Amino acid sequence: MISLNLVLFISSLMFFIGVAGVLIRRNLLIILMSIELMLNAANLNLIAFARQSGTVDGQAFALLVMGFAAAEVAVGLALAVALYRRKDTVQADDINLLNG
Amino acid sequence: MNALFTSIGHNLFLVFGLLACAGAAVMILSTSAVHSVLGFLFSMIMVAACFLCLSAEFLGMAQLLVYAGGIVVLFLFVVMLVELTKYKEKSLFTTQIKWSFPLVLIALGIFAYTMKSNLFDAATPVALSLSSGLAEGLSVSAQNAQMVSRGLFAGFLLPLEILSVILLVALVGALVLAKSERVS
Repeated sequence: MISLNLVLFISSLMFFIGVAGVLIRRNLLIILMSIELMLNAANLNLIAFARQSGTVDGQAFALLVMGFAAAEVAVGLALAVALYRRKDTVQADDINLLNG
Repeated sequence: MNALFTSIGHNLFLVFGLLACAGAAVMILSTSAVHSVLGFLFSMIMVAACFLCLSAEFLGMAQLLVYAGGIVVLFLFVVMLVELTKYKEKSLFTTQIKWSFPLVLIALGIFAYTMKSNLFDAATPVALSLSSGLAEGLSVSAQNAQMVSRGLFAGFLLPLEILSVILLVALVGALVLAKSERVS
C-alpha cells in the first residue's frame, strides 16, 4: 500500500528539483521544462489527495491542470522562438531590456 | 533473487518516483539541450507510471499522450529551431548558484517539517466513490475513465469550458507570436 507521505515526499523532491532548475539554469527552454516539472509534482499531489479522500475531484482537477500546462508551454515556446528571431538569444541573462 | 523481485513489486511507486526524480536531475544538470529534453521525456513517462500506481489509469494514459506525445516533441522542434551550439563556450549555469542551492534546501526543509507535523499519521486510502446519482449504472471501482468524466462534467463543467477557451487563445497567440515577419 502506498502511503500518502511517500507520495508527498516524491512530489516535493520533484518540485524542488524544478525550483532548482529555474534558479540555476540560464537557458529559457530548460526553465520552461522545469516549470512543467513543478506542475507535474502538483498533479501527483492532487491525485494522491484524491485517492486519500475517496473523491474524484482531485483527478478531474489534475486533468484541468494538464490542459493548462499544455497551453502554457505552447505560448512559452512561441515566445522563446520570437525572442530568438528578434534578439538572437535564448539565454535569460542576455534579456535585460528592463535592467535599468 | 525472488525476494528482491517481490520487494520491488511491492514498492513500484517508490521505484518509479525515484526514477522520475533522476530524470529530472539529468534534465537540469546536463550540458546539452537535447539530453535535457530526453531527461524530461524519461521523467514524464515515469510520472505516468506513478499515476498508474496510484490507480489513476485515465490520467496516466493522458499524461503519456499529452507530455510524451505532444509537449516533448514541441520542445525538440524548438531545440532544433533555436541554435544553441554557439553558447557552448559561455557558462551554462547562472552566477547565483551558491545562493540558490541553500535556498532550495531551506525550502525543502520547511516543506518536510510542515508535512511531518501535519500528515505523519495519515489515514489509509479509501476507494474512490461518486455520489449515488452520478454513479448510476457504473461499476466505480473498475471504470476509472468513466468515473473521472462524470466527476469532471458534474463538478467542473465551467472550468472545463474556460480551459477550452484558454487553449484556443493559446493556439492563436502561439501562431501570432511565432509567425515570421515577412519583409515587404
